[in-house]
Amino acid sequence: MSAILPLLFLLTALSGTAVVLVRDPTRQVFVIAVNGLVLTILFDALQAPDVALSELAVGSAAVPLLYLVALMAVRNQLPGKES
Amino acid sequence: MSVVSNILPYAVAVWLFGAGLYGIATSRNLIHLVGCLGVCQSATYVLLLGLGYRWGSIAPIFYDHPPGTPAVDPVMQALVLTDIVVGATLTALLLVLTIQVYKRSGSLDPEKLRPMRARQGSDRAEGSDRGHDGKRTVL
Repeated sequence: MSAILPLLFLLTALSGTAVVLVRDPTRQVFVIAVNGLVLTILFDALQAPDVALSELAVGSAAVPLLYLVALMAVRNQLPGKES
Repeated sequence: MSVVSNILPYAVAVWLFGAGLYGIATSRNLIHLVGCLGVCQSATYVLLLGLGYRWGSIAPIFYDHPPGTPAVDPVMQALVLTDIVVGATLTALLLVLTIQVYKRSGSLDPEKLRPMRARQGSDRAEGSDRGHDGKRTVL
């Protein structure tokens, strides 16, 4: 138990850095969802199950769907711009 | 081991905030920039939960534990819960603003954004550029 918590902290730092370093927004959506999952596991290990449940719903489901909607709206604008 | 464990949450929070700021400063895409802002917000989650955590404590739910059992700080967890909801709202608002910027300027690159100008002034001063803008407004 005392060894898994530092590992989860380091994993959180790693996945947050991955979100920044993936420059393509279409690929970044998946990394954001994985980051939400890692944060969920970290919060559960930090004895905060309600926060973990909220982060699971918001961080790894709702926010990536918002990004997908935004990407879809931007992509649908593309043919209109050229014609 | 103990010193490292005490410092680690704050170090991870500082690292996440710095990484998010680096991403915001060097981003060439506004949607990517909103994602980097989300990384800055996750730094605040880690900071608050690291402040409230105590080693060897239970979650602050006393359904099957006797009252008085050492528990982690529930106030910090309530703050993080509020932070998550506010963060999701902020992400939605910034994505809508990003779509509006794309509709107006035709680009998602923050470097290509021009300063805002008065509509009448740009009507008379820059006729050729104005025609280009007018075509985009129709679409």
